[in-house]
Amino acid sequence: MRRVAPVIIAFLSGFVTVISFCFNPDKTVLGGIEPRVLSWVTIVGGFTLLLGVVSITRVNWQAVHRKKEGWPYKFLTLVAMYVMAVPAMLPSSWSPLFGDAEGSIYDWLFMHIDAPMMGTMFAMLAFYIASAAYRAFRARNPESTLLLAAAVLVMLWRVPMGEAFLRLFGENVPGFINTYLMNGVNAAVQRGIVIGAALGAASMSLRIMLGIERTYMGKG
Amino acid sequence: MFDRRWIYLLVALAVIFPLIVPATFKVHITPEARQLFDAIEALPDSSIVMLTFDYYPSTLAETEPISVAALHHLFRKDCRVLTMTTIPLGGPSIAERVTRALAKEHGKVYGVDYVNLGFKYNYVAVLKGMGTSIEAIYPMDNSSTPLSELPMMESIRNYDDISFIFVVSDNAIVDYWISIVNAEYATPVGIGVTAVSAPKYYAFISSGQVTGLLGGMKGAAEYERLVKAEGMALKGMAMQSLVHLLIIALVIIGNIGFFASRRARRRATA
Amino acid sequence: MHRLPLKLSLVAAYNLVLLILGSEPALAQTTVDSVFRWDRLNAMILLVVFSVVILLYIKWAKEGKPLFLRKIPGLEAVEEAVGRATEMGRPVLFIPGIQELDEIETIAGVSILGRVAKITAQYETPLMVPVRYPLVLAAGQEVVEQAYTEMGKHDAYSKDMVRYVAGEQFAFAATVNGIMVRERPAANIFMGVFAAESLLLAETGNAAGSIQIAGTARPEQLPFFIAACDYTLMGEELYAASAYLSHEPLMLGGLKGQDLIKILIVIFIVVGVILVTLGIGDTFYGWFDLGN
Repeated sequence: MRRVAPVIIAFLSGFVTVISFCFNPDKTVLGGIEPRVLSWVTIVGGFTLLLGVVSITRVNWQAVHRKKEGWPYKFLTLVAMYVMAVPAMLPSSWSPLFGDAEGSIYDWLFMHIDAPMMGTMFAMLAFYIASAAYRAFRARNPESTLLLAAAVLVMLWRVPMGEAFLRLFGENVPGFINTYLMNGVNAAVQRGIVIGAALGAASMSLRIMLGIERTYMGKG
Repeated sequence: MFDRRWIYLLVALAVIFPLIVPATFKVHITPEARQLFDAIEALPDSSIVMLTFDYYPSTLAETEPISVAALHHLFRKDCRVLTMTTIPLGGPSIAERVTRALAKEHGKVYGVDYVNLGFKYNYVAVLKGMGTSIEAIYPMDNSSTPLSELPMMESIRNYDDISFIFVVSDNAIVDYWISIVNAEYATPVGIGVTAVSAPKYYAFISSGQVTGLLGGMKGAAEYERLVKAEGMALKGMAMQSLVHLLIIALVIIGNIGFFASRRARRRATA
Repeated sequence: MHRLPLKLSLVAAYNLVLLILGSEPALAQTTVDSVFRWDRLNAMILLVVFSVVILLYIKWAKEGKPLFLRKIPGLEAVEEAVGRATEMGRPVLFIPGIQELDEIETIAGVSILGRVAKITAQYETPLMVPVRYPLVLAAGQEVVEQAYTEMGKHDAYSKDMVRYVAGEQFAFAATVNGIMVRERPAANIFMGVFAAESLLLAETGNAAGSIQIAGTARPEQLPFFIAACDYTLMGEELYAASAYLSHEPLMLGGLKGQDLIKILIVIFIVVGVILVTLGIGDTFYGWFDLGN
């Protein structure tokens, strides 16, 4: 039963969602089931967030309790999580510091600590891209030379200073890059990858629905 | 081996320099940005437009200028704006902050001219569910006011009542706006995305699944120019230009070094 | 059953569904008033053809018909990378993407994790799997435990191999970067959904000198992985990986079926391009138009 039940659930959920696409939701039970299944997904999804809170508390508390290596950091993780979460969950009618509206503890911590830290991490990409580009774009062979040339052209085209430079070679050069490189070669390649990936995803979904692919359940 | 931290230092300098010495550049409009602008311009006044804030605070520099420019355009055209987000972390508060600031500037009233639906878990379920009933997915707005108490929502039941969806996103949620909402409900979708995701969506422009595309800060700058509201994106063009040129210079230097060392190796083996 | 013409099968299936649902057959009705969305018949046909082809290939594979599969260098390298980690006495780091388990790419990533865990169990190489979502944590632990048990190495399994590190994208990336710098894994394997953190992770791994194998179906992240990793699985190769590593005919059959459908799509594209170029493609184009 432990092996069969998940496969049956996976099959029925997938089948209903796929088939209901072709049926009128107002006219059939089948069409009406789909929104219900989707509501279940939303509810179950909400509970999994709770699972995350439990997991992070358990793992970190154990490390703190047993004074494992780096336990002060784990303690800080717990403090940060609860300082952020608890005031946000309390009703704002008790105090303007509670809830998640502007002026609340959550909002302040989020806007002044969390958001800048996220922005900093994202901004680091500029540094990493520069060093990766320096290393990767080498004219080793005709293919990589083509890649290099395309990259340089697009980098120039995407910024006003570069675009002004390209216009020195002809007023239509940026338009040419847009038409042939971005809407031509790029779009064709993207389509190829997207179509292939979509087929792969559909094939894998079918394998999962039919219980052929069960590795993700721990059954190889 | 070459220490990559020298490159990091040069990038930092290229970012900081334009902040000290500001410069402005003429931004040319791409056909994709023009298409998006024209699509909104062609909407009848007081049309209902959905504007999504599907981005994390990490990408604010690229995405928020798009939202701001879009709101300038929509409010100027007296469109009624329905905002929402599929991002739990920061999405609702960014939508609230940006929309309220712009609404104040344009004298718009909450509940009459704009409504912020906020966030609901599971974007696939949310996007699909709104095709049947927005109220079923969002019984209340972001401030917990029942939708039935908001005058603007009286005439909005599902996607059929929405004239255009302007998706501003930093992630692959755009794929679902295209493959679920545009494909199943035929609501036109225009997109503003981070520069890194933009190339992917060119394929959806010519297929007609996406009506207009703004890519990253450059796209935002184009839209700011189109709606004549200079903002952060136009100001950021100087530093973006400089960093791009620096990377090109680095690529050239890297290749010179590569060819020089290859020639040296050949000479040594000859 | 499969010998019947397709349309007849569809009509029969449709009537069967109507019978089950207790509605009146409404074959003559079309569009919004009908029970069946006739404007989406094309999608249904595609679905049926797709499923039948894949199931046929699976059946043939089961019967023992030889199926040729091209080599995927990135997957061939997995075993080599684990071997290198074993020799160096350093761990293998596996990241099943940064998305929830409801993403099919994450499921593909977790499936590949199961195959990789079998190899690390075999060589008794330490395995580290940081995850971003609680459900992926539960699935990952289950998969790794099962792999170690199947290889007879249950004693070498520890629950901490798969660990939940952070729910926020960049906090997760920072933690993983920290692991790469401190623990210096010999091999980093990235399989699943990746976003802006792809380059942050791959570039740090590159600087740490690890062998790196990545796989994602997100085209926008592929250039970063290609620039910073030794091998990259692109798009559908990610979905094929679990089947490829399993060497099971049942799974490989599905891949062959998928290839045939791809050939069909290519034929449709070529025919469509020719017809549209000649100005007579409207009807053909209309066949692929999805009803709204």
